[in-house]
Amino acid sequence: MSELLKYPGMSKVDTLSPEEKAAAHTRRVFLFKLAVGLNAMVGAVLAVPLVGYLLGPAAKKRSDIGAWVNLGSLSDFPVGQTRLADFRSPMAAFNDGETGKTSCWVRRISEKSFQVFAINCAHLGCPVRWFSESRLFLCPCHGGAYYEDGSRASGPPERGLFEYKFKIAGDSLLIHAGNLPTLSTEASCREKPLVQIEAAEPAEAANAGMPDATMRSTTWQG
Amino acid sequence: MAGLKISKWLEHRLGFIQPLKQAAEHPTPSNNASWWYVFGSAATVLLMLQVVTGILLALVYSPSANEAWTSLNFLNHNVALGWYLRALHGWGSDFMIAIVLLHLVQVFLFGSFKFPRELTWMVGVVLLLLTLGMAFTGQVMRFDQDAYWGLGIGASIASRVPFVGADLVHLMLGGPIIGGATLSRFFTLHVFVIPGLLLAGVAVHVLMVLKHGVSDWPMPGRLVRRSTYEREYHELTLRTGLPFVPDAAWKDAVFAAAIIFAVMACAFFLGPFGPSGQPDPTIIQTAPHPDFAFLWIYAVLAFLPPSLETPVLLVVPVLAITGMLLLPLLAGEGERHWARRPVAVLSVSVIAVTLGIFTRLGTYTPWSPVMDAWSGDAVPVKYMHNRSPLEREGAMVLQDKQCRDCHSLNGEGGMRGPKLDAVASQMTEDQIVRQVLQGGGNMPAYGNALNPAETKALVSFLMTLRGHDLQPAMNASRELLRESRMEQTAGSADSAAAAPEKAGQQR
Amino acid sequence: MNLRWLSLSVAALAVGLCCGGCRDAPGRPGAAVTRPDKVTDFRLLYRQNCAACHGVRGDYGDAISLNNPVYLAIAGTVNIQKITANGVPGTLMPAFAKSQGGMLTDQQVAILAQGVESAWGRSNALGGQTAPPYAGSTAGDPSAGQKAYGTFCASCHGVEGQGVVNAKLHTGSIVDPSYLALISDQGLRSLILAGQPQEGMPDWRSDLQGTGARSMTDQEVTDIVAWLASHRVAAPGQFYSHP
Repeated sequence: MSELLKYPGMSKVDTLSPEEKAAAHTRRVFLFKLAVGLNAMVGAVLAVPLVGYLLGPAAKKRSDIGAWVNLGSLSDFPVGQTRLADFRSPMAAFNDGETGKTSCWVRRISEKSFQVFAINCAHLGCPVRWFSESRLFLCPCHGGAYYEDGSRASGPPERGLFEYKFKIAGDSLLIHAGNLPTLSTEASCREKPLVQIEAAEPAEAANAGMPDATMRSTTWQG
Repeated sequence: MAGLKISKWLEHRLGFIQPLKQAAEHPTPSNNASWWYVFGSAATVLLMLQVVTGILLALVYSPSANEAWTSLNFLNHNVALGWYLRALHGWGSDFMIAIVLLHLVQVFLFGSFKFPRELTWMVGVVLLLLTLGMAFTGQVMRFDQDAYWGLGIGASIASRVPFVGADLVHLMLGGPIIGGATLSRFFTLHVFVIPGLLLAGVAVHVLMVLKHGVSDWPMPGRLVRRSTYEREYHELTLRTGLPFVPDAAWKDAVFAAAIIFAVMACAFFLGPFGPSGQPDPTIIQTAPHPDFAFLWIYAVLAFLPPSLETPVLLVVPVLAITGMLLLPLLAGEGERHWARRPVAVLSVSVIAVTLGIFTRLGTYTPWSPVMDAWSGDAVPVKYMHNRSPLEREGAMVLQDKQCRDCHSLNGEGGMRGPKLDAVASQMTEDQIVRQVLQGGGNMPAYGNALNPAETKALVSFLMTLRGHDLQPAMNASRELLRESRMEQTAGSADSAAAAPEKAGQQR
Repeated sequence: MNLRWLSLSVAALAVGLCCGGCRDAPGRPGAAVTRPDKVTDFRLLYRQNCAACHGVRGDYGDAISLNNPVYLAIAGTVNIQKITANGVPGTLMPAFAKSQGGMLTDQQVAILAQGVESAWGRSNALGGQTAPPYAGSTAGDPSAGQKAYGTFCASCHGVEGQGVVNAKLHTGSIVDPSYLALISDQGLRSLILAGQPQEGMPDWRSDLQGTGARSMTDQEVTDIVAWLASHRVAAPGQFYSHP
């Protein structure tokens, strides 16, 4: 070792006796372990924001998801019919493009009572289609079928269609939309409202369960 | 001369050329220089193809929900050879899954997963799962209707997990709905996370193959024992060893080239996959369909009864993966040859046949209603010949009420319900009326959707459908009743009116 | 040597396919998928929405034939477009316009109406004669209708409308209450006016032969419809006739 080129770490170590070297080694092992522990601590602290960022979407409070959306004028939905309504999800972000749009089926039972169904099948979320002729919703994926009140008719779904909460403001129909409707993130209508059938006329009451007579040219006799 | 000098210079700096050469030329038992041992290297070559074509596609693809679909069509139509790159990447993925599965089956049937290669197998299982992960995330990259609704299916499955279902859905979608955030995170998975894991996993897998050597050809009666196997393998290598490169590897190289050529040919002749319609959920005239590798799951989901669906979806994958991971620990010793392992052969056959059948069903989805059959598939002209006005009206009812979406006539229409070409020879009029009005047997009840005149018309048309003029189905009890009534009428005129059953049919 | 030739030719084939063939490679994708509401091809729209009831080529369907120049001339594009858009309430013709709960845009409905006209219409379909108007304007008289029916229709449909079955003819009942419950008066009128040429049913010009040969008048058509309509009952479609 040149006198001139002393490297900074150059110490007495090189000149120590074997016993002293061993002692110095154990000290360095201890220091290394300490440093590893320090890194683990820094890592753990660093992991908090990283994991928090990653889990961000799941950490959102349920009550923060969803808002009221206007589906348009009440006159767009004739009484006794079920119509498709498009809306932009209130949860859509700047980069969602077309996927930020979605649809729902609006069934107007009477002047003031509605049922608003998600298009997503309760089985695996495929888009169900309403057929006014057979009064059924059919799913193209696995053949789930629902009656016009959204209850399960046949096929693999284990429940009826998801329903949105709705309210009428002036001349507009509003629904509360947020999550993609699935079994654990239902459309916001968690507790199913009571069936909103208006007071039926005596003649109709005899045919309970039959759709409104105005839609039919004839009704069952007895 | 100069080349040798350069390589020496390089080797002195790099230091790994010589070790690599030694690894490549390591001796391997001559009995495994076989065409059956080529799948692993072919899968690796396909992975390289996927990496290269994937990087090239990423030059143009735009991973944003706004633009992804447009950029795919731009690739297809406006970028020179863009369609071919898309086709190579798509077919490459299908081939890769197929080759990885073949590799798995070969290793399983040859018992190569046994001691000391247990961990190699486990890493291989993880690689298979990563490959399937690439396929699913890749299907999302093709951001079209199928991708959108495929994500919906994925989210619906995730939502079935108890307690944390909603959180899982949000985590998977990156928010409450399928959108830009969803595509971004699947892009991250497809391009950064899974490929990284896949490449690292392949490195570990290959290193372990080098450490333990390529398994020798299994012989009936030659048992694997922890105490002796490694010594036996070593002796076998010493006795019969060939340098892996080139004596065994030339077959790998030929097979890999053939596979890549097949991918090129498929891409050239069959073209890229999709994209189908734009990922706009307001377009509900769509019948979503997963990619080939997942068709069998799509089929299984159609057949599970509702009560079993969630348990099966959540428990079976866990059991299957755990079982595959634990397999070498549970059966790490003993017989390797397939002829002495009937359970292994049987389970491979059963699983292969099952997957094959479900995939085949998935290609034509007999359980799906054909959504525009009611307005698009005409009643065959032969069934309209010499029909009364009421029967013709009944045929119209059959179309109008969407019966055709699930029932076929002359092979056209849905296959969810039975075909109706000979329905009147199988069911009596009463049975048809009951079935139509009350449904049952997975058919909705149409009592609310048909008025009596429509029912009457429909049933009178259905009563004309008797296949090749078979006898109409008869209700034997009704015949008996009619006979007894005729006897009664012969006896006393007014007893017929008092008969409890009003059997006088209009027809 | 053989192997080398083989590999060379394979390589040449690959290079040739890739370079020479990529302009018209079989795998080259066709045009991007059109949104369903942007489909403007008449044949496709017709095949998806109309063929089931009106027949693949507009005839031999269970609904009225569109491949019938007489019907197209009498009904006219405006009526056909209106019916396609709004359907016929009370019958089996559904509404197709989005505003009425269907799946087609107004533009697509117009394409269908005009497409039917240009596919199967003929300029001289009525042979220079003036047909009775598409919609009747007067009230019909059932008893006069019965008389007119006897003149024009009874030979094929039976004296009482119950149908005729013999070696040549196979007509069912046209006074069946269930049938009449499913077809509108306008539907009956259209059938009488335009006939069903593929089934051998004449149009309003009738198939009377010899000295008495003449066409039906507007009033006669209206009366026949009224007579048929008089067979409607309050509760059609009963399966079991109770004593």
